[in-house]
Amino acid sequence: MLEVSSYSAGYQGNDVVHDVSFHVDVGEAVMIIGSNGAGKTTLFRSICGLQPKTSGEVLFQEEDIAGMPAQRIVRRGLGFVPAERHLFPRMTVQEHLSLGAYPKRPDPETMSIVLDLFPRLAERQRQHAGTMSGGEQQMLAVGRALMSRPRLLVLDEPTTGLAPKLAREAYEALGVLRNQGLTVLVAEQQVPLAMAFSDRGYVLENGLIRLEGTSAELAENPDVRRAYLGVT
Amino acid sequence: MSDRGDRFTRATGTSVIGGAEEHQSRSLRSLLVPIALVAVALALVPLWLGDSGVMMGVAVLGLTFACYAVGFNVIFGSTGQLFLCVGALAGIGGYGGAVLADTVGLPIILSILLATLAASLTGGLLSWVAVRRSLGVIFTGIVTLIFALSFENLLLGLGEVTGGDAGFVIQSGADTFLRENIPPYYLMLAVVVLFLGVYGLLRRSHFGWAFRALRDDEVAAELAGVDVARYRVYAALIGSAMLGMAGATYAFTEGRISPTTFGFAEVDVVVIVMLAFGGIGTLLGPILGAVTFTIVDEVLIEFGQLKLVVYGTLVVLLFLFLPRGVIPTLGSFFEKRRDRPEENRAPTPEA
Amino acid sequence: MTAQILDGIVFGLQLGLLASGLTLVYGLGGVLNLAYGQMAVISAMVVLFAMDAGISLWPAVGLGLLAGGLLGLFLDLTILRPVYRLRGEARVLLSLLLTLGVAFIVDGFLNWRFPLNSLSLHVGGGAVEIFGVPMRRGSLVASAITLVAFAALFVFFRYTTLGRAVRSVIEDEEGARLVGIDPRRMLRLILVLSGVLAAVVAMTRSMVAPVDVQSGFSITVFALIVTVVGGLGSVPGALLAGVILGIVNSIAATHIGTFLSLIILLGAAAVTILIRPSGLLGVKE
Repeated sequence: MLEVSSYSAGYQGNDVVHDVSFHVDVGEAVMIIGSNGAGKTTLFRSICGLQPKTSGEVLFQEEDIAGMPAQRIVRRGLGFVPAERHLFPRMTVQEHLSLGAYPKRPDPETMSIVLDLFPRLAERQRQHAGTMSGGEQQMLAVGRALMSRPRLLVLDEPTTGLAPKLAREAYEALGVLRNQGLTVLVAEQQVPLAMAFSDRGYVLENGLIRLEGTSAELAENPDVRRAYLGVT
Repeated sequence: MSDRGDRFTRATGTSVIGGAEEHQSRSLRSLLVPIALVAVALALVPLWLGDSGVMMGVAVLGLTFACYAVGFNVIFGSTGQLFLCVGALAGIGGYGGAVLADTVGLPIILSILLATLAASLTGGLLSWVAVRRSLGVIFTGIVTLIFALSFENLLLGLGEVTGGDAGFVIQSGADTFLRENIPPYYLMLAVVVLFLGVYGLLRRSHFGWAFRALRDDEVAAELAGVDVARYRVYAALIGSAMLGMAGATYAFTEGRISPTTFGFAEVDVVVIVMLAFGGIGTLLGPILGAVTFTIVDEVLIEFGQLKLVVYGTLVVLLFLFLPRGVIPTLGSFFEKRRDRPEENRAPTPEA
Repeated sequence: MTAQILDGIVFGLQLGLLASGLTLVYGLGGVLNLAYGQMAVISAMVVLFAMDAGISLWPAVGLGLLAGGLLGLFLDLTILRPVYRLRGEARVLLSLLLTLGVAFIVDGFLNWRFPLNSLSLHVGGGAVEIFGVPMRRGSLVASAITLVAFAALFVFFRYTTLGRAVRSVIEDEEGARLVGIDPRRMLRLILVLSGVLAAVVAMTRSMVAPVDVQSGFSITVFALIVTVVGGLGSVPGALLAGVILGIVNSIAATHIGTFLSLIILLGAAAVTILIRPSGLLGVKE
């Protein structure tokens, strides 16, 4: 579904991501792991149209979306939940979810699916996003992205700042969505959770893809174990 | 950021002003020679216009605006503080001097000095407040604009002291050389040269280094030990003093001032255009701008209100196409010319 | 005193609606439109000339509103193009300078060509007593229209998809893009809206006092003051600040004269910037 080839991106002539290639097939859950500063955020923001690319191709459902602005990419069935979430502080949960479906009117069925998935949001429909806790905001960000019924959901470090219990709940919710046919691409620093969730993964270091393989393969890899799983 | 973005932010000092000062040498000669040339050239003007009282009046006003432009250059060009109250600060000088001399009875020179001090302190205060409250360029601009408008309204409202919109006729100095045709011109010219000298010396001093540092990157400057707040206020004090002195001197040579003499539309807008045209942050930019627009203004005088249309068009064109001003743009143009022959040389063997 | 307060409210409502246009454009696009007052003046002149040409009131008003909207569109398509390539402070600064230039061009032209013109819409009928104070019908009709306009804005922003989309861009531009909203298009919409609002205010103001060709810059200054005090990007803020400042202005003008009372208003804006830059109801950074 998503095929990224020889992709480079960065700031004002300095590339942070160099010549990266990876792919996500329909129905898969793929993770990109790496430590802080590896370039995950730049990579995702750039692919999803919030930042410019330097070079490369991004095929989403056979269409080259590289260089397209975010608002057009999102309308083609890609939902992006960035690390900073970018919620609307003075708007309510309900308004967020309504807007998620923009430009169409929110579909009641989708709305109830999302609210079922995140009961805490259902309880707080009239609450302003700015007054919500980190965990609730994360749920809202995901919920908002789901309202347009994306085929591919891209998440950048969805568990940052979340208590372990909430982080697990988040991945449980993603698991449910996967079972319903959603394709997921996630960037994570908290590797164990992502590994349990994903089918395949890539390791990004200093802007380059160092390793790739199935989750099982990566879990066995001694370098990965040392760097990301805390095994000496 | 796009190229235009870079050019613009550089030109207006919101982040970096480059180009204009890259090729500055430290020798005193490179400062004195241009100033001397300009001084001599301008000194010749009365030979040609000296017979006409009206034309000399225009010339004196032109030099006054040159002073304003240098003062604004110190405040905005050096430290990026958008002071939209140039006219008001000059007005403190002008009205202050007038009131001190006529109403209070002080000698003219003392009046001018005190008025200059008042303007300087006011500008310094504005800067200090802006620094304390961490006001960015825009809010500094708005606050100083508010000050300028308030000052204008104050002049209009306190009619008994200031003469209101009828203006203030200054008796002091009425029978002296100040009101003749030619001497005021040379007086103003001396002031201009003085200001250029101060500006040039500032740039070469540790002040200049500090100014450049804080304009380029405030955070880095702070880390390097530059007290950004202090240098901003210094620049404001010096620049405002210039504005006040120019305003006061002009008032005594004209003999009559009114709120419109120092209004926002009449002074600030014109000074910004002059400096933007000549080149913000350059030594002679203010002079080029002042001379050009004094001439333009004279040419357009028959057009009345249409003059505003021309200024407006110039503002738009200037900030769209020449945001750095004429001098820096010409400077880079000639640089490119100079560098080009080198591109055609054979590559060095080390490659 | 009651009379002054009521007059202040009438004036204040208009200030609020006027400032709404300016504050929305700034809050959404980071653009400061200093040609705003001239937009109002041009709309007023369009209505004036239309009526002089024999067109009856309502169609003339329609033309005025159309003119306002088109001016907003024109600004967006021309002058503001280079502005959009910049971000943050540089964008505000360039927009400020370019729109100032446009303001001069328009002001100069209008004052040169039509120096003595002013628009006055007369509302017939005698005075109406409100709280014991005889109020001119023109003031009351103007206020009613202004309130209706505010109500329309409220409904638009609260209950329509487009209105919510606009709000979302003000709240978080990137977040808006992530749901498929094009901030650029929203800005265009808001510029057109601001033009229409300027036209409405010009026309309702003319029911109270003549709107003349020279008032361009003073309209902009008033709008700016109320925008700053109310909070950048906040329409409720503009309304609140407008009414408060309108009343203050009315009372002060009676006691210390127009020039000095303007200083009070300017001072209010300065104090707001210094003490609470986000304004009364703006977003606290």
